[in-house]
Amino acid sequence: MALTIDYSKVAPEGNIFLPRECKITHVKQVTKTERHFTLRHADNSKVKFNPGQILEVSLFGFGEIPLGYASSPTRENTFDIVIRTVGRVSTALNKLSEGDSLYVRGPLGSGFPLNELQNQNILVVAGGIGLCPTRSMIQYITDRRNEFKNFTLFYGARDPSQQMFHEDIAKWKAAKDVDYHEIVDKTDGKWTGNVGVITELFKKTTITPDTRVIICGPPIMFRFVIAECDKIGISRNNVYVDLERRMKCGVGKCGHCQINDNYVCVDGPVFRYSDIQNLEEAL
Amino acid sequence: MNDYFISANDFDAFVSKMASERNVIGPVAKKTKFVYGKIQTNKDLRLDFDVTILPPKKVFTPTCQTLVTFDGSKFEGAVDKQPVVLFGVHFYDIKGLDMTDLLFSENNRDENYMAKRKAATVIGSSVQNVSKRAFWGSVGANVAPKGHDGFITKIGAGYHYQSLTQKGEALVGYGNFKPATEGQAEEARTVNVSMMSKCPEALKHSSEAIAKKVRDSFKNQELWANLSEDCFSCGSCNTTCPTCYCFDVQDKWNLNQVSGMRNRYWDSCLTEDFAKVSLGAGAEENFRETRGERFRHRFMRKAAYLNEKLGGPACVGCGRCSAACTADIADPVNVIKKIMEV
Repeated sequence: MALTIDYSKVAPEGNIFLPRECKITHVKQVTKTERHFTLRHADNSKVKFNPGQILEVSLFGFGEIPLGYASSPTRENTFDIVIRTVGRVSTALNKLSEGDSLYVRGPLGSGFPLNELQNQNILVVAGGIGLCPTRSMIQYITDRRNEFKNFTLFYGARDPSQQMFHEDIAKWKAAKDVDYHEIVDKTDGKWTGNVGVITELFKKTTITPDTRVIICGPPIMFRFVIAECDKIGISRNNVYVDLERRMKCGVGKCGHCQINDNYVCVDGPVFRYSDIQNLEEAL
Repeated sequence: MNDYFISANDFDAFVSKMASERNVIGPVAKKTKFVYGKIQTNKDLRLDFDVTILPPKKVFTPTCQTLVTFDGSKFEGAVDKQPVVLFGVHFYDIKGLDMTDLLFSENNRDENYMAKRKAATVIGSSVQNVSKRAFWGSVGANVAPKGHDGFITKIGAGYHYQSLTQKGEALVGYGNFKPATEGQAEEARTVNVSMMSKCPEALKHSSEAIAKKVRDSFKNQELWANLSEDCFSCGSCNTTCPTCYCFDVQDKWNLNQVSGMRNRYWDSCLTEDFAKVSLGAGAEENFRETRGERFRHRFMRKAAYLNEKLGGPACVGCGRCSAACTADIADPVNVIKKIMEV
């Protein structure tokens, strides 16, 4: 599944740690702790990556953090990322405004195997902030809708205030060719939709055994969603998990993201579930 | 490839001359132990060292290495291409360098390591004294050291020197080297071969048998919990290992708070937060939470995961981890013995 990365474009001078400058064209506070950035390359070059690939985002003096692309490469002039305020780097990045610069290295790792997903029924299961990296694939599908068969999207959030991408959600709800279902763990009193765990959504629609499934969410979510896929009879070859790990280099050197002998930053972050199901450290 | 001989007296003059004209790093005494340090004259160079506290990897991937410097919105790479002569590396540490050479060059080539490595001249030296925890005589016998430019062996009347590359040959110009006789070359071979049986510790099984058993023991949680019961998670086994190269990356400001640098620092997979991620709102996930999981990960890396790529284990038998471990639980000979007995 691994893609070939053209490092001559990513790392001038052959220094794999040298980032490129990006300009913030738009920024929006989407939840209490998350901000949604739209970026362009400072040199206005086209944005090229594969849905599901990752990048290291940094601010000099603060450090680097790994993130997934949160938009589709079909929008080639800009790309999106979502930053949750967690630590030193993300706090500093989340203070930036439109017109400011930040620095990125990427695309890194392998993305979703498009050739295996095209002309197939697709189910994306996104929990919480897991919607951000999967949005690169969701947007790709909605931009090239005729290249895919049935498209179902499950989105679970902790509570209604944690939901992101409200404009997208409105579009997915309105679209006849997107089978969108959402759920929250806890209601706020005003919420009239589904309440419970994300696997409840499997009861709301029909998922056929030939469906290709993409899963991204908190570590605990994967096992339960995979168990549902097993019940339907979906081959584990057709289940793709998008994993999160601590990463410092993003290029298979620093060692932090290893799952047994796999580097999530190089071999992943997207893995075919059947390839890693026997790795104890994976899920 | 040429074989030379140099007398003991001429050797001292050679070292001093080389050190006056080149940046030479070699084994030097530090109280009762040895470290790789700057060689100014022949008196500094201690080729009779048993083992150095830290392996020579620190020359190419220092404990703190600047990757990028920045000044306001300007930034540039900090690849260090300064040539260095690393003189006096035991064969097991050359094997360690061979491994880090491969790991830093494969896949996404890391110029921060490779440029410095490429600019270096590495000269191996015969083992004159064996350290107390060494077991290099019994590990990775089918993996020959190959990344050096020359090799110097102490023989009766002086030193035998074999140049292996042009960089190694270039050093001959600093001393009164003479072509070695067949007898001197043979003596050097005998010295190096005879040392192989002098380690105080030894593995009793082949690398292949060990790799298989270690891998098969992956899910034996009780075994790993027992092996790591006394682990302080200090990471000494990592920092002293010639083939450990994991790192952390951190930014530092200069005092002006405008300029600064992005540095990498040695990191250790045995430390508690190595694989920990923060999920926000105080929540976190540690993908190797227990000491047993961390201890197992390191051991898998040393004995199993990389074997196919490296042609043998990612352990050279230097015994540094055994000596550095406060709780004395890291000795690969003891750990492997226990695993093989299960």
